[in-house]
Amino acid sequence: MPGLLATIHVVGLLTCFALLGTSRIGACIRFLSLQGVLFSLVPLLTQDDGLTMRVFALAAANVALKGMIFPAVLLHLRARAGFQREVEPYIGFVASILFGIAALAVSLGLARELHPALSHAPFAMLEAAIFLISIGLFLIVSRRNALIQVIGYLVIENGIFVFGAITVVETPLLVELGILLDAFVAVFVMGIAIFHISREFGMADSDRLNTLRG
Amino acid sequence: MAPGYWIIALLAVPIVGALVCLVKLRPRQVLAVTVAVSAIGVAIAVRLGAMVLSGKPVTAVDGTFVVDAFSGFHLIVLALVFLICSLFAAVYFGDDDDAHPFSHGAARRFGVLWLGSFAAMVLVLISNNLGIMWVGMEATTLLTAFLISFYRDRLSLEAMWKYLLICSVGIAFAFIGTIFTAAAVQGSGEGSADALLWTRLAAPGLHLNPTLMTFAFIFVLVGYGTKVGLAPLHSWLPDAHSQAPAPVSAMFSGFLLNTALYCIMRFVPPARNALGGFADGLLVFFGVLSILVAAGFIVFQRDAKRFLAYSSVEHLGIITLGYGLGPLGTFAALFHTLGHSLSKTLAFCAVGRLGQRFGTHDMDTLSGALRHDRLWGLALVGSILSLIGAAPFAIFMSEYQLLRAAAGAQRWVVLAVFLAAVSIVFVAALRHLIDMAFGDPKIAVSQRRARTASYAVAVPSLAVLLFLGLWLPPWLIEAIERAAAVVGAPV
Repeated sequence: MPGLLATIHVVGLLTCFALLGTSRIGACIRFLSLQGVLFSLVPLLTQDDGLTMRVFALAAANVALKGMIFPAVLLHLRARAGFQREVEPYIGFVASILFGIAALAVSLGLARELHPALSHAPFAMLEAAIFLISIGLFLIVSRRNALIQVIGYLVIENGIFVFGAITVVETPLLVELGILLDAFVAVFVMGIAIFHISREFGMADSDRLNTLRG
Repeated sequence: MAPGYWIIALLAVPIVGALVCLVKLRPRQVLAVTVAVSAIGVAIAVRLGAMVLSGKPVTAVDGTFVVDAFSGFHLIVLALVFLICSLFAAVYFGDDDDAHPFSHGAARRFGVLWLGSFAAMVLVLISNNLGIMWVGMEATTLLTAFLISFYRDRLSLEAMWKYLLICSVGIAFAFIGTIFTAAAVQGSGEGSADALLWTRLAAPGLHLNPTLMTFAFIFVLVGYGTKVGLAPLHSWLPDAHSQAPAPVSAMFSGFLLNTALYCIMRFVPPARNALGGFADGLLVFFGVLSILVAAGFIVFQRDAKRFLAYSSVEHLGIITLGYGLGPLGTFAALFHTLGHSLSKTLAFCAVGRLGQRFGTHDMDTLSGALRHDRLWGLALVGSILSLIGAAPFAIFMSEYQLLRAAAGAQRWVVLAVFLAAVSIVFVAALRHLIDMAFGDPKIAVSQRRARTASYAVAVPSLAVLLFLGLWLPPWLIEAIERAAAVVGAPV
């Protein structure tokens, strides 16, 4: 199903640009969940030796987690902490989009370097994985709002998920479940952290968190 | 009892302990549970260690869990550090004040998170599968985050957020490295089912794709290195250490950082097989860089806990450097691990207890500590003298062996930089110590009798550090040699 994979690739990359150019946190959460669901389908489309129950269960768990549970938790947090927008990012939205274009070019170059060693992995997905990881990192360092930093972390998780799905043919189910569980717990832990921070500081802008130095 | 059951028991005991803490216990009972669990942990770890350090690795659950000499050694140090820290927690939280109450809820939270992180670290050390090891490491991050912000004030929340975000991203990078490792096995046409078992990856004949293994090792080193606190990835470390309650800081520096370094070392044998000296070169580079950066920061510190945190960056750098310097260096690194874990745990306990008495960790105000508090003042002097490598403490011996290793490998530049940085730390830390211990008192502090538990923490730790510096028993030499043989580079 190369057509479907190409669609996921294109729409997935567009969600990254949307995340880079949006200030509204609600919209960011929805873009993130669309991205999560799309990339959860990758293992279903890239398995050579047919769909096993295991691959199917993994994809289903991922869709549920990234399409429903994470957005619900994040939206709930947004409501509790009462923030709507990323007001003053360290790097502006236009500059962020420009960074995205540059990151896309670098991802293409890196994927070309890596592809000979990972010849069984679809090239487009390899490039998408590198791109997602770089965008996630960029969101963490370029935004002040703690909730967007969590979104950045989850974009990295999406990238790692794609990378794992296309490069490693067979990992034990136990490991996969453990990783999903960790992502799940991480979101909750970060959520609770944001809740405490917003209660103590009045808001969860991480630039208020700059007393400790040296 | 079959040997494998000891592994299960070591994992199960802290989990059961954490569950017990969930029951409605009084704060004192929670603290008693943590001490009891740690003491049982020490007994099991020593039993397990005695088996693997003199014979073959022990396995459990069809090879999912394996303890060899290297992990056995680390398990013993882990359990010892937890026992000392738990005993100290009983002293530290036993004297709660209005600003920092140790209520029923707080006690329960502490017990669950404390023993939960003990279990997570045990999981890291006993896992044969690098994926499960990663899960354990991520679990330590998530569990310990709330121990940093135990008192939930502004600064501790800030430190916790930095720790959570930086280490989560670091651990995510380590996972990318783990995936690369699995791909490096599969790319070479070897079977894939057990691609992530380190018992298999360490086998000398295994062919690994060199390109993928290069990426794997870089990601693993940077990823887990964030948690080790290797410079320049250490920015979370001084904040977290300075804001966490003292027993938590002691546990962080005493063993959590070593757990992350342990993870890196599990990737070193396959990286050496595939890439030759590349892995050792990187270990030496990051080790030396950490020592240098830490030395610079130590000179200017005013807060005692931040000073100790930077000292941890320095010592983890020394251990990393040792691992990159061949068999003798690996021996020195492991001996240094033991000395550093004990000294740093004791140093944090002393600073924490004195900080509680003085109401601050500012080194100017802590002046005259020895006069105010004989026991903890003495513990402070002993532990910091040990940390800066003064003779005849254990760390003096391990640093001397490291110098021999560097000279033996003819790494003269490394040797010179190491000596220079360690000398800077020696002078700077000694100045801090003299001010704190022997300076004129700045504030009036009431005299108080030390508790029995305080003696139980301070006296044996100091005695062991002194003893190991004067005489290294043959059985301990043999045990460390066996552990070093697991990850040490061939001669």
